[in-house]
Amino acid sequence: MKDRFGFDWSNVKGAHFWSKPQLGRRMFFRHTASAVGGYFLLPTRPMERVAHAAVPTQNKAKNCIFIMMQGAPSHTDTFDLKEGNPFPAAQFKPTKYNGVLFPQGLMPNVATHLDSIVLVRSARAWASAHGLMQNWVQIGRNPASPTSKISPHIGSVVSMELSAKGSILPTFMALNGTPPAGAGYFPVAHAPFLVTAGSPLPNTSHRDGSQRFSSRSDLLLASEGAPGTYADLGSGPAEMEEWKSRSRSLMYNSKVDQVFALDQTERLRYGNNRFGDACLTARNLLRANMGTRFIQITFGSWDHHANLYAQLTTMATQYDAGLGPLLTDLKTDGLFDQTFIVSQGEFGRTVGPLNGNGGRDHFTQQAILFAGGGIKGGRAIGVTDERGAQTVEPEWVRDRPVRPEDTEATIYSALGIDWTTLRRDTPFGRGFEYVPESDHDVYGPINELWG
Amino acid sequence: MLLRNARTLILAICLCSVLSAQPESKTVSLADCRFAANPSEFLARESRIHLAVHRQAASLARSFARNQVPSAAADSIPKRNFIDDEIFGKLAASQVPSAPISGDEEFFRRINLDLTGRIPASDEIRAFIADSSASKRDAVIDRLLNSPEFNDRWTMWLGDLLQNTSTLAAAAINRNFQGRNAFHAYIKDAVSSGKSFSTIASEVIVGKGNNYDNASGAANYPMSASASMGPDQDTYDSMLVKTATTFLGLGNYDCLLCHNGRGHLDQASRWGITQSRSQAQGMAAFFSRVRFTPSQPTGSFAVSDADSGSYALNTNSGNRPDRVTIGTASSLMPEYRETGAVPSDGNWRAAFAANVVKDPMFARNLANRIWKQLFNLGLVEPVDNLDPARLDPANPPPEPWDFQATHPALLEKLAAELTRGEFHLRPFLRTLVQSSAYQLDSRYGGEWKVDYVAMFARHYARRMEGEEVHDAIAKAAALPGDYAIQGWSERPGWAMQLPEPIEPKGDLTALNFMNTFQRGNRDTQLRGPDGSIQQQLFLMNDAFVGDRVKVARSSKLQSIAKITSDADLVEEVYLTFLSRRPADSEKAAALAHLGKTSSRNDAVEDLAWMCINKVEFLFSH
Repeated sequence: MKDRFGFDWSNVKGAHFWSKPQLGRRMFFRHTASAVGGYFLLPTRPMERVAHAAVPTQNKAKNCIFIMMQGAPSHTDTFDLKEGNPFPAAQFKPTKYNGVLFPQGLMPNVATHLDSIVLVRSARAWASAHGLMQNWVQIGRNPASPTSKISPHIGSVVSMELSAKGSILPTFMALNGTPPAGAGYFPVAHAPFLVTAGSPLPNTSHRDGSQRFSSRSDLLLASEGAPGTYADLGSGPAEMEEWKSRSRSLMYNSKVDQVFALDQTERLRYGNNRFGDACLTARNLLRANMGTRFIQITFGSWDHHANLYAQLTTMATQYDAGLGPLLTDLKTDGLFDQTFIVSQGEFGRTVGPLNGNGGRDHFTQQAILFAGGGIKGGRAIGVTDERGAQTVEPEWVRDRPVRPEDTEATIYSALGIDWTTLRRDTPFGRGFEYVPESDHDVYGPINELWG
Repeated sequence: MLLRNARTLILAICLCSVLSAQPESKTVSLADCRFAANPSEFLARESRIHLAVHRQAASLARSFARNQVPSAAADSIPKRNFIDDEIFGKLAASQVPSAPISGDEEFFRRINLDLTGRIPASDEIRAFIADSSASKRDAVIDRLLNSPEFNDRWTMWLGDLLQNTSTLAAAAINRNFQGRNAFHAYIKDAVSSGKSFSTIASEVIVGKGNNYDNASGAANYPMSASASMGPDQDTYDSMLVKTATTFLGLGNYDCLLCHNGRGHLDQASRWGITQSRSQAQGMAAFFSRVRFTPSQPTGSFAVSDADSGSYALNTNSGNRPDRVTIGTASSLMPEYRETGAVPSDGNWRAAFAANVVKDPMFARNLANRIWKQLFNLGLVEPVDNLDPARLDPANPPPEPWDFQATHPALLEKLAAELTRGEFHLRPFLRTLVQSSAYQLDSRYGGEWKVDYVAMFARHYARRMEGEEVHDAIAKAAALPGDYAIQGWSERPGWAMQLPEPIEPKGDLTALNFMNTFQRGNRDTQLRGPDGSIQQQLFLMNDAFVGDRVKVARSSKLQSIAKITSDADLVEEVYLTFLSRRPADSEKAAALAHLGKTSSRNDAVEDLAWMCINKVEFLFSH
């Protein structure tokens, strides 16, 4: 597939992930040279940014909800619906909204929000191995690359950048699943705080009762030295104190309990299942405004190698029942435009006719749902061929498929984080770029989401 | 220190000038200088690590009941061996006072934790304090070095170093629990039987056979290098990176396998800038005959060596830049660094192993890693990026480079000692922990400065690892776990006996508790020293702690509750959990609590809970 500058990206990025994960120097200069009259002169991309790290960001959102559709949903039966597919049409009810084909019958609640949703259909994963790509989309880089060994989760980077001192709840909450990456080389404070939606926050009440806790705390206080005694020795004691006081502020805190204790009527409205519980908890977290900024909801499995349509219906029904009310409530609360929502699998699934088991297998082409954060909804970005096997028209400025690194840059940009940031504080002295290859401008945000 | 900062500044000025040299850029002002914006970001890594150690020492200070310790003149500290000559010689020359030798209680807890990963029992502490013999510290060192707990602790250490895991994120093939167990058995036997480290290195580098088979457990080491979906060269490269980092401290091969050192490592490694990519690939070529073949039982692999093959320069795919012909050369043959040694026969991995154990970096790397484990700060930091061109005390690096080790002569002497002892772990450990330098107090009288960190003027406290915290609570309460491990018939009760930090999978209470202490996964997530909200919540409220500070369950707490004298009871609690007697203020607080709590059992539970929640409990100090 040749792009508008006449070179074939498939040899650069490759159909296989192990093909060069970056632009070579020669390719880069060839690209910039051929692009002199092209996008480098577009108003959004002044040339000096090639030399300068600092970039303007969208900075529209305060929060991010990242829904990891683990197992990889079939893109051509959901976000890049293809009419030629053998889905049960009466049930799926393919409907065009503003020219965007969507399975209205499968996801009726989400369908009502399509005017504020963008489906990016020119997305492509680097590989089609679950573990590898799940890790890849959550750290925004190749898990086999040297920096991946120390790489924090995208949510941990957000936490590092946006944590407010004195906030009660952790900045990065992971609902219903353990992300494959944690804080990386960042302090553990930025690690995902794991919560099972529907249960109270673990260990926020004392096993032997609050009376006993307060008596024990008094004893502990009397047995430690006076605070500040050794303040001349640096920031250490203060940090220790902060952990203690922050953890205590989570205990017997009715505001915290209200976030995690779910109302049964509301649970029913959110679909009465684990995913719905997570969506409801996410809403409560943002509504409470107690410091949480990045919420990952892990929901799977969408790995439907067999009996696709029955299994997909089960999953999509829960997904729709949870996400629909979440979007509605965020809008009612006035939080929708401050909250950037990204929902995707780690890759897509094979296209056209089903396999011998009535399922679809792993495939790199995929589609991503974006909402909120001030994006201009009611659109699809990217056009695929008639089966959904590959991108025909990327419809974004880089004019090539959207990669996990681009989605990562988009999240950072939406939240006002300089996605070209290069940190020098890594344990092995090699710089850590928030988005890899930023110095070569290889990846970047999908600014087209905002119009 | 000043000198280092000065060099950092020069580096920063260079960076600014590089920015200003960009033709497309606008005028660069000081505001654009990333160094000026945030100088600490550019502090050398070594300085950052020193700063972290400094902070940790400071953070612990206020948790202790402060019996002020006087500082001592460095030349008044008894010299036990060559380590003390170097450490106290430098302190004396710099006129920096030393911390005094630690007291018995502090030493006893430290030596128990460092050698065995467990805190001592109260009666052991009492006996040690009461012992009036002059050689009692040496005696306890020898006893611990030969204890079964030592084998558990150092099997965990070596398992970390050799990355024994069931799965690896970037590996094409996994060991699975069977392979991990076989590798664990190999490692445990190596530690228990006192196998020389050079033998261990050789055996794992050439490891072959079925990876599930205990008889060929070492075959699991090379398996971790298998590169996911990439060309074979990715595997050879990965094998070199892991092996050179682990056994030589030369982590820079990860850089060199993509590009020459010059232009990339100019600020990082004096040695690195002399190295070319093809030289690094020549090192990786030693691994170009390793093969992994699916075997029986299903899921296992046979590791073997092909009779022919070399490092082919024939691919533009993979996780590194194109490997293309150099001049007319379309493949590379093995050639060892510095010596240029080539294999004398077809067994290339064996040739590599023979070169590795003769490489001066082998002894330096091992000496530095073990030193760090006991002194909690390497002579060179970070430990996996040694610079061979800045280590030889007889051969100082040219300006503006400085020696990489804080004590270059000491590192050479340690390496020589290790070599003379044929790389046996126990005698080397004995030398380290017998030194006065190791036995210094972790408290410091007088003003403590961050510049003193590099001089080892006190002992540096370290946070206990998740396994140690688990075992400390379990031992104090006399309530070890009972964990099922896939493929094992025995059920370990101590966390230090677990084969991998993702265990015990079957006991979520113990698993979640330990995971809040950043055990890492030996792969993508590192062990870490940080505190967190979760840790505090778990220590205060979790079932793992709550169920152990129960008189109804803990035979140890039952016996404590039966002590009739309040003062004796308080002392027993402090000895059991914190390995020391309480200070007066602590004793008063505890006695007051006993006085106002109607149930003696409740009061004992409260005291146990309080000790676990003291900051000090989490440290080896």
